[in-house]
Amino acid sequence: MKVELSYRKKLQQLKANENTKQAMNELEGLDSEGSVPQGTTEDTQRGKPLNPELVKAASAVASSLPRNKKQTESELLAQLRRHEETTDKQKKGGAINIRNVILEMTVKRQSPAQRGARISSGISLQLDEDGRRIRPERSSAQSIDSRRSLKVKKRLNIFTKASTEPEHTLKTVSPPTIWDLEFAKEVAAVTAQPPRNGFEEMIQWTKEGILWEFPVDNEVGMEDDAEFHEHIFLEKHLEAFPKEGPIRHFMELVICGLSKNPYLSVKQKVEHIEWFQKYFEEKKELLQEI
Amino acid sequence: MAAAVLWWTLRAARQVLPSPCPRQVRSYYVDWRMLRDVKRRKMAYEHADERLRINAIRKNSILPKELQEVADKEIAALPRDSCPVRIRNRCVLTSRPRGVKRRWRLSRIVFRHFADHAQMSGVQRAMW
Repeated sequence: MKVELSYRKKLQQLKANENTKQAMNELEGLDSEGSVPQGTTEDTQRGKPLNPELVKAASAVASSLPRNKKQTESELLAQLRRHEETTDKQKKGGAINIRNVILEMTVKRQSPAQRGARISSGISLQLDEDGRRIRPERSSAQSIDSRRSLKVKKRLNIFTKASTEPEHTLKTVSPPTIWDLEFAKEVAAVTAQPPRNGFEEMIQWTKEGILWEFPVDNEVGMEDDAEFHEHIFLEKHLEAFPKEGPIRHFMELVICGLSKNPYLSVKQKVEHIEWFQKYFEEKKELLQEI
Repeated sequence: MAAAVLWWTLRAARQVLPSPCPRQVRSYYVDWRMLRDVKRRKMAYEHADERLRINAIRKNSILPKELQEVADKEIAALPRDSCPVRIRNRCVLTSRPRGVKRRWRLSRIVFRHFADHAQMSGVQRAMW
């Protein structure tokens, strides 16, 4: 049985829909007065509301630019929204999209006669001896088959859902006693057989943490929930420093370097700056001599 | 229910307990030099941030020179084993200091031994 991909057409349709939606959004943005509160209500209407600070910043930037303000503001907001969508998608891992792809795929059946014909045509090309040109017949048969093909409904019932019983509230709320724990440990020790093959060994290692989980997730243990502007705009940490002089110059270079560093978390960057602060405070007397 | 509680503790215990099957556990380093190298690596990791920051102050054309001299003395006062230059990439199995390939962390002799016994994935004898 062959799996036919009728996905390309659907992709095109989706793209067309998206384009029309974007055009509609831009028209709406142009029609509304470019004032901030209207902008915020618009955004809150569409799915996830953008950070109000970001919206204000975008409107300020748009007002500072000389060209068409409303258009630039709507474009900036659209970009921010897109940026947030991509970050959300990446965070989720995009596993949902695969499901959509599979749902949209249809199954195509091939009659045994056709299969036989294909095999024979594979062995010797262009069997014209019997006068049977299989090609024109194929296309008609294929179209009939695709209409009859098994259409997968929206629910992919590959696996039976584990009955989601509501977890019974512990009637006796006492925590497990030491005897219970010991008993549990004994049972675990008895039932944990040594691994029979390499797969079970690898499973055990994964549980213990010796082996990573595949496909490798590069961001295990790294949960940076900070927004991009916290990484880049670090000048607010520079308030404790003098406003002029070589130290300020030096710290501005440090901040420039930190803002370009994708490997450190925001905490680490802040610690970096605070270390310098402490250091220069200790050396204050020395500096004042100079 | 007590059964649910028990089941939960069993599950936790199964993961916590190491399996009873014997597994090789390395409890000794190959030799004392390897141990010293390990200590140096640990110290270098601990002081890496400090060294980076003090060096940033030293290798500078903006800050005054007196400050840089003070920073020089500070970095010299750090423990000697905290500098990364003292780390030597030894062979992991034999502690050989020379002839070690970085990708495998093995000395050339051990590498050859394993490669010839087909225990190195993707390594083949060259022939062209």
